[in-house]
Amino acid sequence: MTESALPIPDKKPRLSFRERLTRNPVVIKELRGRMRGNRAFVVLTAHLGLISLFAVLLYFAYTASSGNVYGPSSQIAGKVVFGGIVGIELLIVSFVAPAFTAGAISGERERQTYELLRTTLLPARSLVLGKLVSALSFVVLLLFAAIPLKSLAFLLGGVAPEEVAISLVILVATTMVSGAVGIFFSAIMRRTLGASVLTYVFALVFVLGLPLLMIVLIPAYQYFFYSYSSSPGPVLEAALIYGFGLLVAVNPLATAVFTEVFLIEDHSAFGRAYALSNGSAIPLPSPWIPYTLFCLFLSLVLVLVTIQIVKRKETS
Amino acid sequence: MTPIIEIKDLVKTYGKLTAVSGLSLQVQSGAIFGFVGPNGAGKTTTMRILTTLMAPTSGEAYVAGYSVIKNPRDVRRAIGYMPDFFGVYDDMTVWEYLDFFGACYEIPEAKRPAINQDLLELVDLAHRRDDRVEALSRGMKQRLALARTLAHDPQVLILDEPASGLDPRARIEIRELLVELARMGKTIFFSTHILADVAEICTDVGIVEAGKLVAVGKLEDMQRRLMPHRRIHVTLLDKLTEARAALAAVEGVAEVEVVEQVEGAGRARLVVEYAGDDAAVSAILAWLVAQGIPVVHFSEDVRDMEEVFMRATKGIVS
Ligand SMILES: Nc1ncnc2c1ncn2[C@@H]1O[C@H](COP(=O)(O)OP(=O)(O)OP(=O)(O)O)[C@@H](O)[C@H]1O
Ligand SMILES: [Mg+2]
Repeated sequence: MTESALPIPDKKPRLSFRERLTRNPVVIKELRGRMRGNRAFVVLTAHLGLISLFAVLLYFAYTASSGNVYGPSSQIAGKVVFGGIVGIELLIVSFVAPAFTAGAISGERERQTYELLRTTLLPARSLVLGKLVSALSFVVLLLFAAIPLKSLAFLLGGVAPEEVAISLVILVATTMVSGAVGIFFSAIMRRTLGASVLTYVFALVFVLGLPLLMIVLIPAYQYFFYSYSSSPGPVLEAALIYGFGLLVAVNPLATAVFTEVFLIEDHSAFGRAYALSNGSAIPLPSPWIPYTLFCLFLSLVLVLVTIQIVKRKETS
Repeated sequence: MTPIIEIKDLVKTYGKLTAVSGLSLQVQSGAIFGFVGPNGAGKTTTMRILTTLMAPTSGEAYVAGYSVIKNPRDVRRAIGYMPDFFGVYDDMTVWEYLDFFGACYEIPEAKRPAINQDLLELVDLAHRRDDRVEALSRGMKQRLALARTLAHDPQVLILDEPASGLDPRARIEIRELLVELARMGKTIFFSTHILADVAEICTDVGIVEAGKLVAVGKLEDMQRRLMPHRRIHVTLLDKLTEARAALAAVEGVAEVEVVEQVEGAGRARLVVEYAGDDAAVSAILAWLVAQGIPVVHFSEDVRDMEEVFMRATKGIVS
């Protein structure tokens, strides 16, 4: 048999995730470009400076306003500073991640390099994932660089390690979905300008839409609950609670706030039982879990659609 | 010889406009194929279909035996494509640019430095390797683009107006590069508006108009078919009468016209209308010299190709 004479079986080498990343020419090119000169350093410094300044202002604002006879509670000060940092990081991430990806595909079109890339052997998947990974890794770097600042809130007390961990999960999930939205619009729009506008509209609705909606919704909920002379049926009540929970779980700010409520009221990082008015209990997961799942799902769908768009040949 | 590019009944419509309408064409392996035609004839569209960037409305095309529709990856591996624009990344050096595209063609990292260096030397850009791509002149960018198309050692080069916008020197440099590449065994399929380039380097020519191929074949055959008479310019130092008699005796000479004669001196310029192949043309020169006629200039009309082009494309309208 001639086949058995072959010394090495012809096995396809399995590349590890790390290998696949470092072999992705797009990742190398993008990171090289991003790290060139002192641009990355300036962005990082500005990011940390902004957050520090904000934290310090928040601390002094809190201690000045809440002075009682016993002095401000350092525990609550810690929570306020921590919460403030997470809040501003959520805003930064929601608007910076799309800035890095909204030009990913449309920028290649504008530089007329898109068609060059599409005639090489580079798969559409590598192009899209390479762009996304290199943009997001820089934003995640920004997030991790800010952890020591959050640990300062640690020193003031009142902040538990799991809060830091959960906040990081929420932030990374938000980064991912913001980046994915950016790359999606960048693939469907001809121009980066158009892609950026759409991406920022999405970010605004994503971050601020629900809080605005809640200003309307919460009184409506209250009216609804209190206007019932008898309690609503348990099914309806559970549906309302879950419906509200779902609304929370598609918004990063609400997720952060309600996760914190769970932590403070129940010391539960993952979930709790909610007692309905008829005495039976329903399980309620902590919002960061459905939020993270939602972000993962949305990012995955957007990335897959983007890959299909890039793969598609020009037809018109 | 086997065709390395084969286009069959290719049709491409943009809405109501038919850019390519039933184009069929074969390019033999090793050819330098000049693809000419007026603006909007459908050259770029055809090339974009060949490079798998665009799907045809109907018809098929094969490159190196692979279908551009069914095996786009194999086609991409077989071709190097240079579009009619130059894509630049700002803040990238010449070296990084080549290396990036090498990586996109899945050339192993270990082999890339040597390949990049060879390519830069081939296109005479080795001394600019650390300059930013943006800072290169147009001619240099064009040469870099050519180097990029060669990164993965493709069999076929598809070049869309490689010489457009270049000064005469840069144009001739590109032309020489193409000849060099053909000598290296590559098939070159290029579009151009510069007919002198076609006349100079192409082995085959295809003329398109309104999405249809109106003439195709060896340059010589086409000239003979479309222009039964070639125009030869002859300048003599003397002996005009003998020259006219000698030329009249040659079979195939239709007309001899004296276009310029310097009074007093014997110097004269003639235009000879002649039907015959290249060998016969050179035989005429040998014949004149053998008759003791002092020929100082003997050349074929450089505008021949333009006339071929005009006649071929005019045929469509009527
Ligand atoms: N993306 C497009 N959408 C609509 N029409 C197009 C598109 N691209 C080309 N066309 C039309 O198709 C026809 C053929 O264009 P093409 O670019 O193939 O011509 P060409 O032979 O390359 O011309 P040129 O010599 O000017 O480069 C033209 O009428 C052009 O207007
Ligand atoms: Mg064109």
